[in-house]
Amino acid sequence: MADSSEANESLVKKEPEVPAQDPIVSRSTSGIMLICALLLTASLAWSLYDEAFGQRPWKGMQQQFVSRYTKYLKSIKTQAGKTEAEVKESPEYQALEAEAQSAEERVKPDIAEIEHRVVKTQSELDAVTEPFQNQRGKLTVINYNVEIAAGRAKDKYRKQAQEKRAEVVDVDLPSAEDSGKTITQKVNYDQLEKLFNDLREEKAKLLGQKAELLKESTELRKKREAYLKHHMTGLGPVQIDGLVKKMEQFDYSILPHQISVNEFNIVDRCEVCHAGIREPLDLRAEDLAPGGPGKKPDSLARAFVSHPNREILQIHTPDRFGCASCHWGNGRATTSDEKGHGRHKFWLWPMFEKENTEAGCQQCHAKDRVTQGADTLNLGRDLFAQRGCMGCHRYEGFDHETDALGAARQSISQLEDQITGNQKQIRLDENPSEGSSDEEAQKMLAQSEALKVTNSILAARIDQLNLQSKYLMQDQKKVGPNLKDVRLKLRKEWVPVWLSNPQGFRPGTKMPTFWRFATPADNGLPPMRDKDGEEQIQAIAAYLWQDGFDGRLPQQQRGDTAHGKDLFETRGCLGCHSIGDEDNKIGGTFAANLQKVGEKANFDYIVRWIHNPRERWAPYCPKERRDLTEEDYKKHSLPYVFDTELHSRCPNDGAELQVQNMTVMPNFRLSETDARDIATYLFSLSSPPQYDAASFMDSPELREKGHTLIKQYGCAGCHEIKGFEDEQRIGKELTVEGATPIERLDFALLTKKAEEGSDPLNLHKEEKEKPWYNHKGFFEHKITEPSIYDQGKEKDPKDRLRMPQPFLTPEWRNALTTFLLGSVGAEGSNVPQSLFFNPQDTRRQDIQNGWWVIKKYNCMGCHQVQVGQRSVVQDLPFYQTPEGKDLLPPRLSSEGARVDPSWLLKFLHDPSLSGEKNAAQNAAINSAAQSASQTTTGANAKPAGGLNGNAGGTPAPPGATGGHLKAQPGLDRNGVRPYLKFRMPTFNFSPNELQTLVRFFMAMSGQQEPYIKEPLQPLSEQEKLVARQMFTSGTPCLKCHITGEATHDAKAIAPNFLLASERLKPEWTFRWLLDPSQISPGTAMPSGLFRKDGERWVINLPNPPASANEYHDDHARLLVRYMMLLNPDEQRRLLATAPVAPPAAAPPAQKAQVRTKSRGGETTLNRARRTKRPTLVENRGVRTIARPAGM
Amino acid sequence: MFMKQTKVWLVLTIALSLLAFASACSKTETTESGPATPKATGKTPPSDGGTVSGTIAYNGAAPAPKKIDTSADPVCGQKNPNLSTEDNAVTNGKLANVFVYIKDGAAADGTKVDGYAWTAPSAPAALDQNGCHYRPHVLGMMTGQKLSITNSDPTQHNIHPTPKNNPEWNQTQPNGAPPIEKTFARSEVLIPVKCNQHPWMKAYIGVLKHPLFAVSAEDGSFTIKGVPAGTYTIAAWHEGGATGTEKTMQVTVAANGTAKADFAFGEAPVASGNSGLQMMPALDVPMMGRH
Repeated sequence: MADSSEANESLVKKEPEVPAQDPIVSRSTSGIMLICALLLTASLAWSLYDEAFGQRPWKGMQQQFVSRYTKYLKSIKTQAGKTEAEVKESPEYQALEAEAQSAEERVKPDIAEIEHRVVKTQSELDAVTEPFQNQRGKLTVINYNVEIAAGRAKDKYRKQAQEKRAEVVDVDLPSAEDSGKTITQKVNYDQLEKLFNDLREEKAKLLGQKAELLKESTELRKKREAYLKHHMTGLGPVQIDGLVKKMEQFDYSILPHQISVNEFNIVDRCEVCHAGIREPLDLRAEDLAPGGPGKKPDSLARAFVSHPNREILQIHTPDRFGCASCHWGNGRATTSDEKGHGRHKFWLWPMFEKENTEAGCQQCHAKDRVTQGADTLNLGRDLFAQRGCMGCHRYEGFDHETDALGAARQSISQLEDQITGNQKQIRLDENPSEGSSDEEAQKMLAQSEALKVTNSILAARIDQLNLQSKYLMQDQKKVGPNLKDVRLKLRKEWVPVWLSNPQGFRPGTKMPTFWRFATPADNGLPPMRDKDGEEQIQAIAAYLWQDGFDGRLPQQQRGDTAHGKDLFETRGCLGCHSIGDEDNKIGGTFAANLQKVGEKANFDYIVRWIHNPRERWAPYCPKERRDLTEEDYKKHSLPYVFDTELHSRCPNDGAELQVQNMTVMPNFRLSETDARDIATYLFSLSSPPQYDAASFMDSPELREKGHTLIKQYGCAGCHEIKGFEDEQRIGKELTVEGATPIERLDFALLTKKAEEGSDPLNLHKEEKEKPWYNHKGFFEHKITEPSIYDQGKEKDPKDRLRMPQPFLTPEWRNALTTFLLGSVGAEGSNVPQSLFFNPQDTRRQDIQNGWWVIKKYNCMGCHQVQVGQRSVVQDLPFYQTPEGKDLLPPRLSSEGARVDPSWLLKFLHDPSLSGEKNAAQNAAINSAAQSASQTTTGANAKPAGGLNGNAGGTPAPPGATGGHLKAQPGLDRNGVRPYLKFRMPTFNFSPNELQTLVRFFMAMSGQQEPYIKEPLQPLSEQEKLVARQMFTSGTPCLKCHITGEATHDAKAIAPNFLLASERLKPEWTFRWLLDPSQISPGTAMPSGLFRKDGERWVINLPNPPASANEYHDDHARLLVRYMMLLNPDEQRRLLATAPVAPPAAAPPAQKAQVRTKSRGGETTLNRARRTKRPTLVENRGVRTIARPAGM
Repeated sequence: MFMKQTKVWLVLTIALSLLAFASACSKTETTESGPATPKATGKTPPSDGGTVSGTIAYNGAAPAPKKIDTSADPVCGQKNPNLSTEDNAVTNGKLANVFVYIKDGAAADGTKVDGYAWTAPSAPAALDQNGCHYRPHVLGMMTGQKLSITNSDPTQHNIHPTPKNNPEWNQTQPNGAPPIEKTFARSEVLIPVKCNQHPWMKAYIGVLKHPLFAVSAEDGSFTIKGVPAGTYTIAAWHEGGATGTEKTMQVTVAANGTAKADFAFGEAPVASGNSGLQMMPALDVPMMGRH
């Protein structure tokens, strides 16, 4: 072959040479093809697989859920059957069952009879129906023919019809005695029709009778079923079977499990995987473990659990809100949990971590001070307010008085400018130029008139604003103490010690640490301000010292430590303050720990403070921007008196003054002696050490420097400091801080570490390190170590981050972080604004507003304001005994239903109910004007109207004690419960806050506003007699309730009935009488005083007084009316008839105040009180064990 | 990135489907058995139970009872002129009104003391108010047992227990009123009972799931019968302070045997500082042989 081809080479036209290695010809492509084909097949397979499973990991999860859940359901079914059987065995169920059965038995014969008759009637009816319908059909045909026929034909048909009606047919009625035989009747059409209708009626009547007879047993059977339903815990076997069936029909797809709310553009697919969320069972992870119920759960099991807070789901139903609205994350993603939870770098708003879940609440509840059920968030808000964050950072709603006051003052000055401008124009208008015409002059006069009226309107507005600013100033509080008082209050050398390390002196204090070198060095951070720190502290101390008030306080002697301790523990101090070291602390965290007061403070100042913390050293005039002196008042021949009631205006210019210390601490109306005893006790707890001399505090140069530093650090955010009264907040506003885009949160040089998950503070020791380049990470690190983002930066000292380091427990850190994470405003919210909690009804608005005040003054330290809430004092060790529980402040959960709002207003204004404030003030004014030795304070403390026999008392003459403190209105008395050692203090609320509080309590109890008293029927003489007898012989009400009779009242444990008419609402009082423990569990007032007799309540006595037996109306209502109409005369009469008259031989009752008079010769009472023995001396005993009947 | 993710998904889905498969398989294997729930009722207490007895001593001088001022309700003073406090009822150095009970422990076969099917006596426990005192001052009863409260005084009382684990109530009882009947569903040692009208009136009710309790008599003695053979923590509770004082010790009881448990309150004797760990050599001789 090869030869021949070579031979022909020259002859034949040369073909293009085929290369020996022609890839097309010589090389097989099948390999590539195969690979390609395989690849194609593989990718096809993969794409099919991905389509079916890869993109749908939830399918497997759903299958898992169904199988695990079904297994669980089957496992609990036996148990469920058991509970059902148990309920069925209970005597109550048995009784209901028996009742139902007996009712059925009773009517059984009647029913049988009726049923028999029904059957009979039915068979007759059956017999009649066919012939009747036949005849009727035929007649209808004939009638139709009449209608369509014309002329004579009509008559023919009419005749036919008549014939038909008269036609007689056979009806085979069954015979009477069920023999199966029939009786044939011959009837015409009319008779037939009547027969038919009669039978039908008969049948209906019989059925009606049957239903009537069965009614009782049907009702009883319903009751029995309801009992079973209400008493079975969990689901019954039938319901469980239903759930199993539901699982059998489970739809393994997305759509049926997707929540779609068109209105708000919400599409959440969370339930595609979290299939157990809304199941009607409490599913725990163990229940759905892969190995079967009760085994070790895996991550899937944890994903399948039911929602941990079913109650919240009911209020915020997912069908309306979706899931991601609250939880955040990417509600639409279904391809992986990472994406669904939004923990993906391209998803900006990841799901909140479990511990921060309540951040979701804050989005919509940003206006709430307290959100029910969001404890972590509420704690965060508490901390933000109480720990002073709001001193530097504005946050909408917090410390609104300061903002509102600024706004009011600005408006006033604008209005004043406007008035001045108008006046200028008026002058011009009234003096027109010579050349103007009469017309022009008249026009200008008209304008000037209009302007005058406008000015008077503006002036009225200024008046209102002035009043508002007065109230706002009264309500404006600072977190920290007034630093104008440092010279009066503190030991000079202690000030720099405190400034350099507040946490060292008082661990856990609100005062944050400003100079980092003072913090322990073990956190690995470089000290940042060590160079100039010392000098800065000295400079600030120097400014504060030199710019403080100077003067002489009334000197005080040391008092009685034991009595002071008793007062401190029982008057209510511990509701806010704590006492004791480190681990032995008891009391509240709302205010400072007082263990070391003696190491820092001046005794005289502390006595004055305890006596009345609101008493200011000198008034401040915001208009003149200075503290007034006695000279200012003298110039105008006015006494140097300032208070919120009548003397709140500046003598120079009439501006509203700041007349009280801006502290939330109230006035306990203590006598000066008691205040001294408490201070003595506090000073006995520590012994002051020797501090280094601090002569630098008098240096004028340092003072200058201090001024700049105080401004830089924003000290005036929390403290009142001379020269800084109008200082603005220095921090960033935080209302929408959580919505700041992540790239605008300055992680500075820590960005990389944050992304990698390396944590210099090691905040989550127990967890494994994870990236913290997110909002949570930023906030947590910032509030724990505020200077952390300065690490490694080259900065001028004055440009460094200024935020000081607060004291934070891990729980607090989390609470604050939660609060900040949820602070996103309308823009950053994951929820449409229309879903925000923005109540339109006044009731809920009143509640929302009220919480701000309740929290501001820490009412919950002493009271239970809400059902289920515990107060601080309730958990104190002294109140754990049965006797101790009787000594607690009243529960306020039904306060709005209990009291008349106008009375409440009066009480909150002056809890001593002494009504002698003006008298006291006048006395104070007189004594101040004379500036001689004070008139006796005893004049101010007369018992009021005999309401409380043991109130009043005579305070010590000032000469004997050496005190010069101002007179105390309502000294040493409780308005409603004089028998309590706790004292409702005077908070000096402004009318604004009084109104808010009253409305809050009314709204909490769902009361109508305004309250209009139902008129009460006057009592007849006969009724009075009956009531009197019931009052005394039957239920010995007067045994426990105060009567105004001193001997008796020493042992009384419940309020005076004379208060009732003004204070109580009759409806509430009625309910209270019937079962007090329903309203206030644990109350001393016993239940079972009345029993139900038919529709009325009668006194529950084995031998009721004869008059009561003859009285046929409601006894409880009669007593309510009697109480409401009781007057002092009637009460005296009542006492005279009471068999429980106090014997004359009884030792005279002693009053707490009495001791102040007789400090020299102590009464046995006092001695007994001071010796803290567990058993009580007779006389005291009764009072101490006394318990408010809680009315 | 894409590939990585895909791989993850591939692995995940395979794993998932395997898991689903596995579970589907395992499902067929498991039979309908349901979790075994232990019987709530427990076994019958043995008839050969032993006895624990002892005496409660009071060391040192007891505070003398104080006379009570009854001026708030003269009726009390008339009926009971010598009304005095009763928190330390000491006679000849022996302490009455101490509640002694089996607190914990198990029989020899491991049955917990609460694990037996104890039945509450059908006769109600009785609490009377007589002479403005609760009688008895300390009372033991079983859960579910009826408590019948009577008023033998010519005045009105109110019975106000303040339990922690049971619901609180406060019921009035005028003179001559029929008895009040109540039960306590949960065990609690002890429930203080007060009367708000007569604040000195106090009673303490010990509620237990078993009948192995006693209250010391005037001579300080007590006897607990029918204790199944075993080793127990026995506790003695005496009122005072917020929660009272409780002392415990271990006792071993033999079938039909007798064990002794003596307690002392008041000033602590120097020797027995640690009451909880004190072992009492109160064993019956035959039992020693058996072991």
